[in-house]
Amino acid sequence: MDFDIRPYDFALATRSWLMLAGALTVICLALALVLSVARNGARGIGIFTSGLKSYLDDLVSISPRRILALTNLTLKEAIRRKALLVFVAFAVLLMFAGWFLTDANERPELQVSVHVTFLLTAISWLILPAVIFLSVWALPEDIRIRSLHTVVTKPARRLEIVLGRMTGLGIVAITMLVVMGVVGLGWLYRAIPSTSRSALECRVPLFGELFFITADGQPADKGLNVGDVWAYRSHIAGNTRARAVWVFPGFNESALTTNEQGEKDLLLECRFEAFRTIKGSEASIKKGIEAQYTISHNPREEAFGSLSQSESLRPLADALRDGQFRNAADRMKELAQRMRTAPDELRPQDYAGLQFGLTIAGALLKEMKNDSFGDVPDAFIAASTAGQDLIIQLRRKAETQSREAVSHEEFAATLDRVAAGLAENADGLLEGMPRTEVPLPHFHVSEYHDGEESINVTAVPQTLRFVADYETLARFLARIVDEWNAQGKLLDGSSLKPGLAETLASEAKISQLNAERFVEVLQEQLTAGTVQVADNQLKVANGKTWFIFLDELIRGEKLVSQDPQGWMIEKDLMKDMAPNGYLRVEVACVNDQMYLGMARPDLFIRKANQSFAVGYSKALINISLMLLLIIVLGVTVSCIVKGPVALFFTLTFFLVGQFFHEFMLRKLSGVEQGMGTFESAVLLAQHRNPQVGMDVSETAQAVVKGADKGLEGVLWAFSNIVPDFTIFNRASAYVENRFDVPLMECVIPAIVVFFGFLLPCILISGALLKFRELESK
Amino acid sequence: MSDAVIEIRNLSKIYRDFWGRKKVQAVKSLSLDVMKGEVFGLLGPNGSGKTTTMKMLLGLLFPTSGEMKILGKPASDVSKNEKIGYLPEESYLYRFLNADETLDFYGRLFNMTAAERNRRADELIEMVGLGKARRRQLKEYSKGMTRRIGLAQALINDPDLVLLDEPTSGLDPIGTREMKDLIVQLKAQGKTVVMCSHQLADVQDVCDRIAVLFQGELKVLGRVDELLEMRNEMQIRTSALSDEAVADIRKVLEKHNIKDAEFSRPRADLEQLFLRTVRESGERPGRRFSTEEVAASGRKS
Repeated sequence: MDFDIRPYDFALATRSWLMLAGALTVICLALALVLSVARNGARGIGIFTSGLKSYLDDLVSISPRRILALTNLTLKEAIRRKALLVFVAFAVLLMFAGWFLTDANERPELQVSVHVTFLLTAISWLILPAVIFLSVWALPEDIRIRSLHTVVTKPARRLEIVLGRMTGLGIVAITMLVVMGVVGLGWLYRAIPSTSRSALECRVPLFGELFFITADGQPADKGLNVGDVWAYRSHIAGNTRARAVWVFPGFNESALTTNEQGEKDLLLECRFEAFRTIKGSEASIKKGIEAQYTISHNPREEAFGSLSQSESLRPLADALRDGQFRNAADRMKELAQRMRTAPDELRPQDYAGLQFGLTIAGALLKEMKNDSFGDVPDAFIAASTAGQDLIIQLRRKAETQSREAVSHEEFAATLDRVAAGLAENADGLLEGMPRTEVPLPHFHVSEYHDGEESINVTAVPQTLRFVADYETLARFLARIVDEWNAQGKLLDGSSLKPGLAETLASEAKISQLNAERFVEVLQEQLTAGTVQVADNQLKVANGKTWFIFLDELIRGEKLVSQDPQGWMIEKDLMKDMAPNGYLRVEVACVNDQMYLGMARPDLFIRKANQSFAVGYSKALINISLMLLLIIVLGVTVSCIVKGPVALFFTLTFFLVGQFFHEFMLRKLSGVEQGMGTFESAVLLAQHRNPQVGMDVSETAQAVVKGADKGLEGVLWAFSNIVPDFTIFNRASAYVENRFDVPLMECVIPAIVVFFGFLLPCILISGALLKFRELESK
Repeated sequence: MSDAVIEIRNLSKIYRDFWGRKKVQAVKSLSLDVMKGEVFGLLGPNGSGKTTTMKMLLGLLFPTSGEMKILGKPASDVSKNEKIGYLPEESYLYRFLNADETLDFYGRLFNMTAAERNRRADELIEMVGLGKARRRQLKEYSKGMTRRIGLAQALINDPDLVLLDEPTSGLDPIGTREMKDLIVQLKAQGKTVVMCSHQLADVQDVCDRIAVLFQGELKVLGRVDELLEMRNEMQIRTSALSDEAVADIRKVLEKHNIKDAEFSRPRADLEQLFLRTVRESGERPGRRFSTEEVAASGRKS
């Protein structure tokens, strides 16, 4: 099962429910009116309206005391008819289950999983038959032995009888569930060997969004396909630029866990698939394929990455992503010129890609609200608008097959404005859009999923210490110089402070050797006059920012690390790597000729574990909702048919909702391939396959396909009437796999589904019982 | 007796099968009124439509045509049940409850408070004589006991109108007599009682008016004493006469040209005999009564 379910769309669910409930109400009322007129002639209209009025009166005159009386009656009935004997069966199961479940040789998480699965399954399947039988038999039996007659000749509304029955049976089911749940929890703690008990936990995952970077550095939705029929996972090639990139929106302090030393860590748990093209040594097979995480913060990638979707625009996109904004300005100018002189060289998808990229870039740059960007954000937005206009004109031209030329001038002019802005604000843009990449140590991924190594948990400390690249180092040192300048910690008069290197090493957490080298370089620049002292501050002589000045020095290899480990610096995971609440984690495959396969749920951030009892309780809540829904359905059906028929209907609803609901949706949406029922029957009879089709006249084909369409309508109606029972089982699957049950994605949807069925069922069952002759012969 | 508690106009009921085809017409254009404070009997052989009529009055069945009003409200109006007590043909009660729980349950359905329910339950259990069995589940009750608790539940709300379907069915003669006494008592309290029964003697004993149904049609409707009065016969009842006195009376009658006069000693009915025997057995346990003693005690009673 996929534990990364998408958030439940409450708005869509509510809209669908309202539409269906409205349609159902109209259909029911129309049907009732037609039946009433058919049986009573013109008098039927009056009977219908008075019946409706009487039903509405019943709705507003419901008495809680009467409902409570009937609830109480149901409870007594269940107890005195020994429905609670189910506890005995449960006790017997638990007494002997230990013989078959406990295997101390299994891994702890497997032992926990097996025990929890057994327990939740036993609870569900023991209570299920009891509540099904009680719910479908209660009212028909009352009617059969006529005890209901004595009740309905009292002022009890039939709606109250239904409500009382449902409530009473619901309390019986929940009581059974709670007792079994509590006893079961105690049994779990006793039955699972003490050595494995630590695995009795609920992991709390934070899932991200996944995209890929191809071997030539371009973003893509999917990675490589290594030939698997099952295309669930996409692969990245080893020792290339290919990456799988997870972005975790909503990343904040709560995603961190506290380790044994009391420090904050980020836990990354992954379960990748390893794919080899060469066998390698036995040791290598045991060890697995090497992979590496890189935590990166790259606003330039986010802003300009989408421009690279079109191949013609890649040089421009690369220049922007690399921070070479002057180069990018030249490319933009060239693009504008090309648009003027040879507009047809660019394909429609290039225009679309460019316009999309400009829109994203404009929006993100605007969002950053950085004054040093000048009018670049506005220029991007203006270009995006002009691009949109041009695309509309080109599309219209294609549709009308007009020969009239479309002017590209306006769009080209806006691109020129972007180019001018980029050139003018190149330094400001580079400074305002820092790229930081923190590579983490390598880890191994085994190709065997049942091996312990297949699950990999990496603890990333909140304070990251890593070897900085040129840009990151230049930014780091520039920030120190700026801050220390302001604090007066750099200068002593017109020269550098004595002992500056030691202060740097201790406060900025860089190595003593590198600190000394940095001070030495500053002194050299001071002596050479490229750096001056003015207003008691150290300043770059040509007016450039410290970042640009230091960047040039580093790229000119004047600030080479003296430490064999390189320029080790520290960054804060929250402040520096995810300042906007987005964390970006890139995964690379290190080994040549090897591949790593991954899907969205394969990597997640593990938040602090939730107590097992909490996750277990949520699973029980979902089971209880399932039982309650079955009771509601059983009682509703039993209001109109006899016990055995009600049992058949309720079981059908449950089995279809449990095992075929998804299939129905897939069939209706066309995902599930196949002909209609009648067409398949004809094909079977004619020994023909779907590709060649039926060997019948066109009229017969139309009839058969029309009949299939009609059946499809029935299937549609059925898929909307039958509850999706799988929604109630998901919580159990989470706990069985040692995950916490997400409230919004799993528990609340189950509650919503339950209430979505409860209200119509109450109204329908009340009406069915009210307008039913209890003594009909 | 002034205003009508039950008004039935042109009431018909046709039972149909699943396909809507007519199976049987149980009631045919029935019209009658039941007045406040009277004891009204619905008589008829099996299948005559009396129970169907009662069930339509209670809303258990819907009429095919016609109109009914009970206590001024349509039969389909549940709120009419506030003032109605119903004893079904067989006491259709929840057999897993005991007498206290049964009365408490039905009391709750009338929205009665706990204190009120307890008070009424005590009164009724005392009245129907189930004090010693009030904690036993109904499944352990005899038929007579079940009828008694059925009657108690029918009266839990102190109803204005009591509908009794075969009230004496399953009761022993003592129970029957008590039931009849109770009906008379209810009438004395100003309540209206409608009963349907096969026990004609019972009906005759307690009913003010009766309606006789046959094959769904109303055949007879009227006051019991008027309907049963034999206008062409005369009965004189006195203490035992000597043979001479009988001869003299016969002569007087012959003088008036009456030749078919019969003279005999009246007989007590079996119900009276049974009740006397049980009563006197209670007073003198272990004694067996001779025919002469029984006859003598019959003269005394």
